[in-house]
Amino acid sequence: MRRTTGIAFALALALVAAACSGGAETTTTTVGGATTTTQGATTTTQGATTTTQAPVACVGKIGVMAPITGPAASIGEEQRNWAQLAVDMFNEENGTSFEMVEGDTQLDPAQASTVAQQFVADGDIIAVVGPAGSQEVEAVGPIFTDASMPFVSMSATRESLTDGTSPTFFRVVPHDGEQGPTDARFMADELGAKKVMIIDDQTSYSTGLADTTAATLEASGVDVTRESVSQDQTDFSALVSKIGDDVDVVFLPWQIAANAEVFGGQMAEQGKDAVLFGSDGLFSPGDFTIEGAYVSSFAPDIRGIPEDAELVAAYEEQYGDFGTFGPPTYAAMIVALEAAKSICDAGAEPTREAVVEAIGSIDLPSSVLGIPIRFAASGDIEGARFFIFRIEGGEYVLVK
Amino acid sequence: MAEIGTDRWVDEVERRRSESGALGRLGQILSRRWLAVFVVVALVYPFVVGGDFGIRVGVNALLLALLALGLNVVVGYAGLLDLGYVAYYGLGAYGYAFLSSDQFGIHAPTLLVVAIVAIVVFLVGALLGQPARRLVGDYLAILTLFFLQAFIELALNLDRLQLPFVDGPLSITGGPNGISGVSPMEILGFRLGQVRDYYFLLLVLVVAVAVGLGNLERSRTGIAWRAIREDTLAAEQMTIPTGALKVIAYATGATIAAVSGTIFAAVQLGVFPQNFTVALLIVVYAALILGGEGSIAGAVLGALIIAMVPELLRTPTGARFLFYGGLFVGSVALLRPWRRLAWVAGGVMAVGVVAKVIVMTLWPAVAAGEGGGLFDRWLIRFDPSAVTLVNVLFVVMIVLVLAAIALRAPWRRDPLIVLAAYTLVLVWENRLVETPSITRQLLFGALLVVLMAVRPYGLLGRRRVEVV
Amino acid sequence: MEFLLQQVVNGLTLGSVYALIALGYSMVYGILKLLNFAHGDVYMVGAFAGYAVLVGLGGPADPRVPLAVLFLLMFLAAMLVSGALGVAIERFAYRPLRNAPRIAPLISAIGVSFFLQNAALLVLGARFRTYGTAKMIDPGTGLHWGPLRISLVRIIVIVSAVLLMVALQVLVKRTRLGKAMRATAIDREAATMMGIDVDTIIIVTFFIGSVLAGAAGVMVGLVFSRVYHFMGFVAGLKGFTAAVIGGIGSIPGAMLGGLFIGFAESFSAAYISSTFQNLIVFLILIAFMLIRPWGLLGTPELVKV
Repeated sequence: MRRTTGIAFALALALVAAACSGGAETTTTTVGGATTTTQGATTTTQGATTTTQAPVACVGKIGVMAPITGPAASIGEEQRNWAQLAVDMFNEENGTSFEMVEGDTQLDPAQASTVAQQFVADGDIIAVVGPAGSQEVEAVGPIFTDASMPFVSMSATRESLTDGTSPTFFRVVPHDGEQGPTDARFMADELGAKKVMIIDDQTSYSTGLADTTAATLEASGVDVTRESVSQDQTDFSALVSKIGDDVDVVFLPWQIAANAEVFGGQMAEQGKDAVLFGSDGLFSPGDFTIEGAYVSSFAPDIRGIPEDAELVAAYEEQYGDFGTFGPPTYAAMIVALEAAKSICDAGAEPTREAVVEAIGSIDLPSSVLGIPIRFAASGDIEGARFFIFRIEGGEYVLVK
Repeated sequence: MAEIGTDRWVDEVERRRSESGALGRLGQILSRRWLAVFVVVALVYPFVVGGDFGIRVGVNALLLALLALGLNVVVGYAGLLDLGYVAYYGLGAYGYAFLSSDQFGIHAPTLLVVAIVAIVVFLVGALLGQPARRLVGDYLAILTLFFLQAFIELALNLDRLQLPFVDGPLSITGGPNGISGVSPMEILGFRLGQVRDYYFLLLVLVVAVAVGLGNLERSRTGIAWRAIREDTLAAEQMTIPTGALKVIAYATGATIAAVSGTIFAAVQLGVFPQNFTVALLIVVYAALILGGEGSIAGAVLGALIIAMVPELLRTPTGARFLFYGGLFVGSVALLRPWRRLAWVAGGVMAVGVVAKVIVMTLWPAVAAGEGGGLFDRWLIRFDPSAVTLVNVLFVVMIVLVLAAIALRAPWRRDPLIVLAAYTLVLVWENRLVETPSITRQLLFGALLVVLMAVRPYGLLGRRRVEVV
Repeated sequence: MEFLLQQVVNGLTLGSVYALIALGYSMVYGILKLLNFAHGDVYMVGAFAGYAVLVGLGGPADPRVPLAVLFLLMFLAAMLVSGALGVAIERFAYRPLRNAPRIAPLISAIGVSFFLQNAALLVLGARFRTYGTAKMIDPGTGLHWGPLRISLVRIIVIVSAVLLMVALQVLVKRTRLGKAMRATAIDREAATMMGIDVDTIIIVTFFIGSVLAGAAGVMVGLVFSRVYHFMGFVAGLKGFTAAVIGGIGSIPGAMLGGLFIGFAESFSAAYISSTFQNLIVFLILIAFMLIRPWGLLGTPELVKV
């Protein structure tokens, strides 16, 4: 029994030291082509070696930080799958051999910090897609800034993230400060709402959006009541019964479309005829189908974009159905990949600093989201605009 | 433990054999002077590992070790089932954030902050621990669980308070966005700016707490705690002030958690409600129980294992290492004599070859191309489209493994072991390596079950008779 | 008034589901003094099993069999699968730890829970599945008393839950098997001496508890629609809470505890604040535990010295 102590200690630490040190040390030598060797556990890649100035063999790894397991896995799984699809299709089209490294954070900033540190320590990783939650971005910001690691988020929408504290941070989705007023104006002007109930789901995405929407609504003289509910709530009936008859619109800046579906169903059950309005987190034609409800989105439904048909088919064949969190992740990954490739094409080696610059000056005329992608100096995506849809007959119809 | 009817000296032959010889003497040193060994290894660790990731993992491990040590006081010494322990961790973290960030504009010196937090949490713990005087076992457990839930709810929602005399909504905890921009610690003029600094600070703390607890264990208070744990009623009869001591144990555990919390907030440079979940509570308990409750070395060992193994499993390489390593160790340990092991290994080879031939001839579409190497020629590599088939295989694999465990007779058991091992490797290579995040959790869960079945008292726990 | 009645109905529905889950906890605790934290995941598997049957028979939009038969089949499938799973968990995770300190099976249960959740994630994916009850039964059907509306689905759920609980009570109080179960719960050793096969009784207890959890899973799917890998975690916690509130080890207590929590949730959300709903429920429960720690129907434990 006492021997086990010592052996257990020694084994445990030896194991960990062995595996952790792999990936920490990297040596890169460039001899016409690109040869990267890493000690320990990671792979060796060989580039083409020619005498003249040939394009550098484009290799590298892109990290993906998402809640792959845990309560938010429905979001993270979709994000991860779309990221993988992006890498696969990009490699196929361009003959590159980029790889994806996944990092599970469960939306926990502490885990996100650890994963961030893991990515920073791996010399092969030149960019990161994610993290998914605004609170995670706050936690990993300092780590990535110190390492000059570019990170492109597909779903962190808190306004203050792009105030300059993280110069290597970019996001492909517009922040709450843009969506809130758009939705609010629609509710006030188009729907003529006089009384609106806003219910947030106690996440940073939701409360931020709820705040900006409420501010604009109140400025327009609309009466706003705020409620809040937890994402793992089973039953919304009690809350639904609180919707007064004079409430015109119920605004749900939620992330889980299935919850909103149940909420809408219970509204019908109790005969509430307020109009349901969902934010972009609910943009999920498969899951959220309440007749007569409105949904806002920063991009049109990619199933309606003819250029994306092949992509949608490829995804559905391999992974199944998807909602709103996937396509932005694809876009974010493409941004990172295009940036890296542009550096390779210019004959240089894709380092993290170079990728940061490349992303900052990227100009993609089109993307999976149907809009061009360019970043402002702050890291926010330029030219963002929100589209409002109405659900008619189970289909999402663009109204504005 | 001497069996009735045997000579004690004869009985202890095994123990004496294990303690003799070079390896035995090494084991003796390791167990008696475990703290020294631990310190040496921990000091060397950052230099072996190199990158910041390894050190960060080390920091996480040491934080967990502190938490486990604190929990050891509550659960291991006083025998109170505290399911709200993580709330004190959170209180410590938020406390540090309140006093060292822009949330309220206070930036107090670190040592003062930690002292204030420790004292306040001790008092809070003493207050909330009052129910422990009366409530027993599972009722106390659920009450403390409520405390944790209440804490999480408060942390999540105290950001839009409308107070009568204050203009506009008041944010105390920052809501789901937490408090970021927490300033790093500064001790005696030295600014802890790097993760490495916190690593060494935590190491010092762990050693200090371990030594302190060790002394406490042997003191009158410690003995009194043990008495309360073994048989509360008898302890009361012995004029031990059970109520007060229980509360002190509870509060002490809470304070240790709070101090760890302050360091956690400083390392993360922020504090968020998503950091404190029931899942974290489970991890702390797992660390303590795995190591053996009541044992200080156990708490530290358990924490190291639980903190580091999942990180190891993050990379496919690390996961493979652990999986095949575990399989190897398991088969060597369980399949004796050597002949049996050879039979089983041969059987697995044979099954592999046969299965591959069958699948390739009958359903060639299902199997993808050949890789190089002997391994790939033996193993069926399924085409990515055959996901459903692999999922079914996963379930089949579980059934086979369970059946192999359940059956006793070797002639019935060994073929099942062969089949189970084969399907295990098949599913591993075809599916589990591609989803490292999920596999990690699966392996962790399986590890907990297996370790508990093999060592129900924990790795370093001692056999106790429990009065239920 | 109708508002109040509406909350009563809400509370009843929610409470019935919690009660069914709590029953499993209480029964197992009564016999083994074990808190089965994997119970919530058994419930999750039951919900998925029901979903599988639903999809297999055509899906909510176009079922191949009449609705009543469909529901019956879903319940049966879920109950059987959950029951089998519960028995398997007992056999492999808890039986080796029969004589270990009480906290060891707790950790084992947690390990099983992690494993089940992630196995579901691996095999079934993270997407929320919905039963699509609205497509099978129009949400408007049900009882209408003025503004008070009770949908048919809720009625089905409440009635089934009551039926199951009554059946359980009959089993425990009126049959020999029930008597054996009660005896084992009171004193395991004495029961063995009386010739009761304790191992079998334990298996039966786990089976019945898990069957009820499976039924609860289908009910939740029918009324609240969402089925996903993590649903067992929260439901398990609430079920465990309900069991303790009602007096752990007591079957009628578990039922009452479930209803208590269901009502507490609905009423506090409706009348006080939905933001702090969970917090208020916890505060109520804390106060309750301080005043009456042995639960609603539990008895203050007499410790034999």
